[in-house]
Amino acid sequence: MKKTLLFIDKLSTWVGQAFAWAIVALTLLISYEVFSRYVLSDPHSWTFDVMIMLYGTLFMMAGAYTLAKNGHVRGDVLYGFFPPRVQAGLDLTLYLVFFVPGVIALAYAGYAFALDSWRIMEHSSTTADGPPLYPFKTIIPLAGALIFLQGLVEIARCVICLKLGNWPSREADVEEVDVDKLKQMVHVKDEDIAALDKLVVAQEQAGGKA
Amino acid sequence: MKRGVWFGLSIMVLIVLATVVLLPPPAQMSGGHIGLLMLSLVVVAIMLGFPTAFTLMGMGMIFAWLAYRSQNPDLAVQQTLDLMVQRTYGVMANDVLISIPLFVFMGYLVERANLIEKLFKSLHLAMARVPGSLAVATLVTCAIFATATGIVGAVVTLMGLLALPAMLRAGYDVKLAAGVITAGGCLGILIPPSVMLIVYGATAGVSVVQLYAGAFFPGIMLACLYIAYVMIVAKLKPGLAPPLPMAERVVPLPPLAQSLDGGHGRNALLGLVGALKGRDRAGTRSVLGQLAIALLPTLAFAAVMSLTWHLATKPVIEESTAGLVEMGTDLNAAADEPKDAGGVQEPSSDLQEPPGTDKAAAGDLQEPPGTVKEVVPAAPELKAAVPAVPAAPVADAERRAMPLWLWIMLGVSGAALLAFYAILNFSRLEIFKMLLASFFPLVVLIIAVLGTIVFGLATPTEAAAIGSLGGFVLAAAYLLAARPREYVRGVLKQWATPWALFGVTVVWFVLHKLEVVTPEVPQWLGTLSMAAIAVWCVMAVFQARLGQTLKESVFLTAKTSAMVCWLFVGSSIFSAAFALLGGQQLIEQWVLSMDLTPIQFMILSQAIIFLLGWPLEWTEIIVIFMPIFIPLLPHFNIDPLFFGLLVALNLQTAFLSPPVAMAAFYLKGVSPPHVTLNQIFLGMLPFMGIQIIAIVLLYMFPQIGLWLPQTLYK
Repeated sequence: MKKTLLFIDKLSTWVGQAFAWAIVALTLLISYEVFSRYVLSDPHSWTFDVMIMLYGTLFMMAGAYTLAKNGHVRGDVLYGFFPPRVQAGLDLTLYLVFFVPGVIALAYAGYAFALDSWRIMEHSSTTADGPPLYPFKTIIPLAGALIFLQGLVEIARCVICLKLGNWPSREADVEEVDVDKLKQMVHVKDEDIAALDKLVVAQEQAGGKA
Repeated sequence: MKRGVWFGLSIMVLIVLATVVLLPPPAQMSGGHIGLLMLSLVVVAIMLGFPTAFTLMGMGMIFAWLAYRSQNPDLAVQQTLDLMVQRTYGVMANDVLISIPLFVFMGYLVERANLIEKLFKSLHLAMARVPGSLAVATLVTCAIFATATGIVGAVVTLMGLLALPAMLRAGYDVKLAAGVITAGGCLGILIPPSVMLIVYGATAGVSVVQLYAGAFFPGIMLACLYIAYVMIVAKLKPGLAPPLPMAERVVPLPPLAQSLDGGHGRNALLGLVGALKGRDRAGTRSVLGQLAIALLPTLAFAAVMSLTWHLATKPVIEESTAGLVEMGTDLNAAADEPKDAGGVQEPSSDLQEPPGTDKAAAGDLQEPPGTVKEVVPAAPELKAAVPAVPAAPVADAERRAMPLWLWIMLGVSGAALLAFYAILNFSRLEIFKMLLASFFPLVVLIIAVLGTIVFGLATPTEAAAIGSLGGFVLAAAYLLAARPREYVRGVLKQWATPWALFGVTVVWFVLHKLEVVTPEVPQWLGTLSMAAIAVWCVMAVFQARLGQTLKESVFLTAKTSAMVCWLFVGSSIFSAAFALLGGQQLIEQWVLSMDLTPIQFMILSQAIIFLLGWPLEWTEIIVIFMPIFIPLLPHFNIDPLFFGLLVALNLQTAFLSPPVAMAAFYLKGVSPPHVTLNQIFLGMLPFMGIQIIAIVLLYMFPQIGLWLPQTLYK
């Protein structure tokens, strides 16, 4: 059981990170098109559709990865102040009430949606001979299924937390604000900050007297 | 900590109570009332801390099903499923949201280029004489860096590590220092190119281009108000922000400059010119290098002025048949003309240009012989970008007289240039070099991205992609600079060729667009330079050890984009359900029945958004509540663009309002233990006040925001 959960966790991360590279492709594709269109006067009609597909695929497939790293935005007013067990209880309830039905519905509806598209071998209608759309539409059920699986892992995390009283750890990943890394980047050490504390204390004392 | 819990709980209780009191008993509830119930439930659910995207998705689904069921129970499930997948696909194929990952990617690359340390240092040296110099430098650094990256948390943390110690050591008040850092770090979400404006544009259906043009001046205004406040405080109460001690202002000079300076602040330009004589070759070369750097502003001035002159005095092209007859005389007149315009720096280069834009007749004759061969075959197959190619255009090839504003511009910038050289001593030259290495690249990147968008040269998506590439180049350059000197030198030699090729192409293209050079960039050159840059990108990843940085930026971009875009998926399902239930109509009736004046409505809506900024984040406020506000705007004759600018300014305060201000917690995370959250909050208060002043100013003088978009897009 535990192995399966860990496997799903890794799978979401791996898939998300693999599709994340679409941003590089997107950057290069658009830069190429800009150069080609403006400097060489040679525009390509297919780039618009491909751009959209790269972007849509990127964020849909990264959804489960983001969930696995606890990266989806959540209201932090109260949540942060709750003890872990309360957090887990709330999360578990809301996963069952909102997440599970919502994501299953999305994946199921997406499956029918993509199936229709495959049936007629749908092509994009932005231009006369647009690229095929059915692989792109298939992303919806795929991303839905992946995020559902990841949701099961999160539910399991909640259950573990309810049992043990603290959250099971997540695998480390790059973070937007990684304080240690930023400290290293600008060559600031903890001792420097500690030394600075004296100045603050001195200021407080001076302020108290005045 | 306890306070936070009570604060949050009391808001929740208030919302629940308000819902119970305001809504009719369940028996009399209409669809609209259920919609309102849903809205209050979602705020409560978000505050419980569950990932908002899925709260919205789940709740939207349940209520959409309720709405459909009340119409036709048999079809309800199918219709709900269709709605969900259609809405999701709509977000996936959204051509506005596509620029979000690109701008985010650019931000992470620039952040990781690690130039903030240099930026801050050079700015605070450059501003040493300004009152409250460190605080002003912090604000400027924040504004620029936050604009380029748009990541509030990282900017506040970095400045907390760099500027806070510097300010505390210089004897600044803790509260003031904290306020400056937190307020400055949040500027990035307002000053374009910001992700917030894209999200607003996508939700409200307002053009992102216009939003960017509109938010530019309010953003600058806010930054200037902050700076003015700090300077006034520093003047009135020097105890809070003492001037920098002399020892801190000294710029260490490199050996060459030291020997030339002789310790008494000689003028750098004269010193360098004088030093050219009587040196060995190596000495002369390094002096020449310094001289070249010192002369860069002159070069920029000459280039800008001569191009402006060219555009401003370009002959007016009229459709006239007489043109062909008079062509010969006009050519002579055109050749005489530059002598009259003697004030311009490089008249000689203008002599070579063909009069007018006539490609076929004059262009080939006067081009240097080398390029003619390529131009002739290229010309027919490329459709010329300049429309005026056929015979008529040379009708009035005489250059127009120089307009007055050009004289003024010439005079003012010329005087500024002279003043610059008059005060340029060797330590200022050092500062100038530091700025050149940190400040200018960022500013150029921002202006290039923003300028192309605002002036309609490129779509936001295109500009964002080019910006990302620019971020990559910055990161490559700065990471390379951190390597050993010998290695850097070797690598730079390899980089020179692709960049020279690319530079030639771009300069040629720009000159062609400005109608200085007639032939288009030849196909082979364009393709070659594109290939060269592609090769360079691959080379740079290995040579500057960009792999790790790139990987991290890519993963972070994926997570952030997924966060924002999944939120959009959830909210578009949710707002569809809200509209289906008729909640929108109910609110419209209710607001209209209150019979508000536009001003009252504006104050009410901004106050609601301000209050929502406490428990919710800006993303949630925009995607959930803007769809409710926007349809009300036409009733009060309010421009959604203007409303968006006010909202953007307003949501700035959400970052600074205690007790949930994110910025404060980021700063607390890196500040010395004795700096308390209370001190940080107190420090932020005056800046919140300034934000409110800014909102009032923008409301009283809408032209601050609307002038640029109205001038550009009418």
